[in-house]
Amino acid sequence: MTGRDYLGEFEHIIVLALLRLEDRAYGVTVRQEIEFRTHREVSIGAVYATLNRLETKGFVKSHCGDPTPERGGRSKRFFRVTAKGVSAVNRTQRALHSMTEGLDLVRSYS
Amino acid sequence: MTSQPQIVQPPRIAVRLVNLFSSDEEAETIEGDLLEEYTHLASKRGASFARRWYWRQTAKTIAHLAGTAYRTAPWSTTAAIAGGFLLRRLAARFVEPAIFAVIDRYQIFEHHFSTYRFLASTGIDIGHILVFLFVGCIVALGVKGREMVATMTLGLIFGAMAVIAVLVMVSRTGDDAFAWRLTWYFADSFAMVIGGAIVRARRSAATTRPSIA
Repeated sequence: MTGRDYLGEFEHIIVLALLRLEDRAYGVTVRQEIEFRTHREVSIGAVYATLNRLETKGFVKSHCGDPTPERGGRSKRFFRVTAKGVSAVNRTQRALHSMTEGLDLVRSYS
Repeated sequence: MTSQPQIVQPPRIAVRLVNLFSSDEEAETIEGDLLEEYTHLASKRGASFARRWYWRQTAKTIAHLAGTAYRTAPWSTTAAIAGGFLLRRLAARFVEPAIFAVIDRYQIFEHHFSTYRFLASTGIDIGHILVFLFVGCIVALGVKGREMVATMTLGLIFGAMAVIAVLVMVSRTGDDAFAWRLTWYFADSFAMVIGGAIVRARRSAATTRPSIA
């Protein structure tokens, strides 16, 4: 197993957002979902840079939707997580859980 | 009859900047996403809030797109930057001889002294700007999809070198007049970025895209 099998912090957040959004996941909804849940302002460029990287690794797949008038006739690019992506999330979650297990983070380090 | 959503136009310069830094495939989706949120924000929170949001998103998006463009092909981008650096050094040697060749050929010194004075001072500076523009175009031609990153990096390198050189000159001579040269040096760097933007815009225009309402 290599470092490439795990997700980076923002990759992890993006994949979880895609899983939450299911078939409604595209740039705007992904960005808003992350802002809503993490309270951190995210740029659309950061979202696409990470999504493109995840697609290259085979963790997500994308397809273009139909052009819509509220987007000035531009189409949406929808994303979904692949089976390989789900495995990567699980692996990353297990690794994080394993690393934090037994630690009392609030009492020891606050 | 269904009502069409009111589309408010986002800042044009910001749209152009995002377009310059994104690949042709990315540009449509990114612009569409930004426009969708901008229209929503403008109707909900007002046009000035939406404009500020759009500019903030543009600045952050450009930084990410530039970083990604460099990371996808670091070696070829670095090679293009190094090549551009050497080409500029080579081409810059011909500016003064070329201008003085024109002055001699048409005997400008004898017949039009004010023109001679202009060519021998400002003319040389303009010649250097044209060399930087040319080098920017050549570098951009060599790095498809990363035109802006390569030319901006090169522009920053030359800009930084100019600042250091001027600081050294001012500290050695104590003559503040050297600092004024910086406006020309920054214009050179800017011309290089413009060269990159020209090539990028032409490539974008050549790529067929679905119509934009």
